[in-house]
Amino acid sequence: MSPLRRVLPHVVVLAVFAVLLWFLPGTIRALFGQASVSYVTLVTNAASLAILALSWDLLARTGQVSLAHAAFFGAGAYSTALLSRFADVPLWLGIPLGGVVAGLIALALGPVTLRLHGIYFAIATLSFTEVLRAVVHQLPSRIAGGAPGLNVPALFRPTFVAGEMERWEVAFIRNEGYFLIYAAVLVFTLLLSIIIQRTRLRYAFTAVRTNQEVAAVMGVNPARTKLLAFVLSSVPVGLLGAVAAHRFGSVNPFETFSIHTTVLALVTPIFGGLYTTVGPLLGATVLAGIEETLRRSLDSGYMIAYGVVLVFAVLFMPRGLVGLLGKLFRRRREAAK
Amino acid sequence: MDLSLLLQAITSGLLSSGLYALVAIGLALAIGVIGIVNFAHGEFFMIGAFLTYQLAVSLGFDPLLSILVVAPLLFLLGAFLYRTTVHYVLGAPELNQMLLTFGLGIILQNLALLVWGGDPRTVPSIPYRSLSFNIGDVTVGAVMLGSFVISMLLVLGLYWLLYRTPLGRGMRAVAQSRIGASLVGLNVDRTYLVTFAVSAALAGIGGVMIAVIQSPSPTVGLTFTLKAFAIVVLAGLGNIRGIIWASVLVALAESLIANLVPNGDSLRNAVFFSIIFLVLILRGRRPA
Repeated sequence: MSPLRRVLPHVVVLAVFAVLLWFLPGTIRALFGQASVSYVTLVTNAASLAILALSWDLLARTGQVSLAHAAFFGAGAYSTALLSRFADVPLWLGIPLGGVVAGLIALALGPVTLRLHGIYFAIATLSFTEVLRAVVHQLPSRIAGGAPGLNVPALFRPTFVAGEMERWEVAFIRNEGYFLIYAAVLVFTLLLSIIIQRTRLRYAFTAVRTNQEVAAVMGVNPARTKLLAFVLSSVPVGLLGAVAAHRFGSVNPFETFSIHTTVLALVTPIFGGLYTTVGPLLGATVLAGIEETLRRSLDSGYMIAYGVVLVFAVLFMPRGLVGLLGKLFRRRREAAK
Repeated sequence: MDLSLLLQAITSGLLSSGLYALVAIGLALAIGVIGIVNFAHGEFFMIGAFLTYQLAVSLGFDPLLSILVVAPLLFLLGAFLYRTTVHYVLGAPELNQMLLTFGLGIILQNLALLVWGGDPRTVPSIPYRSLSFNIGDVTVGAVMLGSFVISMLLVLGLYWLLYRTPLGRGMRAVAQSRIGASLVGLNVDRTYLVTFAVSAALAGIGGVMIAVIQSPSPTVGLTFTLKAFAIVVLAGLGNIRGIIWASVLVALAESLIANLVPNGDSLRNAVFFSIIFLVLILRGRRPA
C-alpha cells in the first residue's frame, strides 16, 4: 500500500473532526446561551491541553522524556510579543513565526541534548528551560520587559454596539475566535501525529525507543530520528505559546515559562495513553474537565489533581485510559462469544 | 575589584555550601542506594520549612527545637511514601520511577499551597536572626554560621552512619548489589525504606534552616530539587563522597556571581541550571 493510501483514511477522519470543531462554538451557543461564554473557554483549555500532550507524545515515541515544553511555549509567546512590539509584522504572522522560533531552538538544542538518555535528558531539558527563563528575565527591560514582562495586543477586538448585541455576545465572539485558532493548531498537531503513525516513521520511532543499537543496525539513524521528533514536537508548542500570548494579553518570565506547562504536557498523555493519537486527546478532555471542576472550589493547589493522576497512572494504568478502554472492550467481546 | 567584597562573597558562599551539601547528600543517598532519582526531594525540604513555620506560629517553637520534631516527622513521611508508592516501582523502568516521584512532588507542593497559600512565610520572633559579628571587613551572620555547622555535622554524621555502623554497611551492601545483599541475609526492602526515610529527614532539617534564613514559599521545593541535582550531577550520580566538594564549588560560583556581577542576584538560579546543563552535556560526550 502506498503511504498516501495509508494516511488518507485517517486524514478524512481528521477533516470530519475539524469540521465538527468549526461548528462547536455555534452549537454550544445555541444550546447554552449566555453560559456558553465560559463553556467555549473550557473547550479552548481542553484544546490547549491536547496540543501540549500530543506534541509531547511525538517525542516520547522515540523514548525521550522532555521537560522543555515550557521553554518552547515561552519561546513562541515571547517571539510574537517582541515581533508585535518592534517589527511591523502583522499579528497573524507572529503566530506561525512563534512556531518557527520554537522549532529552531529545538534544532539547536537537540544535537547537544538528545544523546542523553532517560532522566539525564529530562534534567538537561528542565535546566535549559530555567536558563532560558533567566536569560529572558535578564534582558534589558526596554527589550523584553524584565520581570513585569510585556503586553501583547489582542487578536480580536469585537466592539460593543448598544442595541445590536448583548454584552456577553461580545465576549463570546472573542472567545470563539481564539477557540478556532487553538482548534487549527490542534488539527495541525493531529495531522503531524497521524503522518508519523501511518508512515514508516512510526517504525523508526518505535525502533529507536525500544533499542537504539538494533535500530541503527536496521538502518534507522537514531540521532536524526530523535532530532526530527524533537523539532516536530516543539513547533506546535511554539504556535500554542504565541496564540496564548495574544489570548491572555501579556507575557512574563514566570508565568510564560511556568513549569505547569511542562507538567501538563507530560501528565496528560501518560494518563490518556502513550504513543497514540487518541490517548492524549482523550486524556486532555478528561483532565480539562477535572481541572475546571477543582478550579471552581480551590483558588490554588488545583494542580494537585495532576500529581494524583500521574502517580495513579504510573502505579495502576501503564497503558493509560486507552489501554484501560481497550481491555474493557476486549473483555466484552470475549464475554459475547 | 574591591578585595573585601570578594572576601565577603567567598565567605557567604562557603557558609551556604553546608546547607546545599545537606540537601544534596539526601538525594545522592536515595540515588546511590535505592537507585531512585527523587524529583520530590526538594518538597521534603519545603515541607520541613513550613512545619517549622507552623510550629513557631502555633506552639511558639524555636527553630532549633523544631529540628527535633521535624526530622522524625519527615522520616515518617519518607517511610510512608516509600511503603505506599516508591516500593512498587523499584522494578519498573527508570522513567516510571522518575515520573512517580515527579507526581509525588506535585502533590506535596500543591498540598502546601492548599494549606499555607502561595505567599512567602516568615518565621516570627527569632532572637538570633539578625545576630552577626565581624572578622576584619567580613561580616558573618550567626544564622548562616549555625546552619553551616549543623549541616556539616549532619553530613559527617551520615558518613559515620554509612561507614561505621551495621545499618550503614547494609546500605552500602544493598547499593552494590541488591541480590548479593539479600543472599547474605539482609532485608533489602527495609534497608531501602530506612534509606528513603533518612533522605527525607535530612532534607526536612535543611528546610528548618531555610525557614530561618529566608522566607520560603511552597515553590522553594522545586528550586532546591534542582540545586541538589546540580550538586549530585557534579559529584557524579550516586557518588556520596564527592558531595561536599561539589557543594562548595557550586555555592562559591553562586555567591561570586550573585555578589560581583552587577544585577547578579537574579542570576543565582541560572548559575545552578547552567552547571547542570553543561555538566550533563559534557559528561554525555564520554561513552556511558
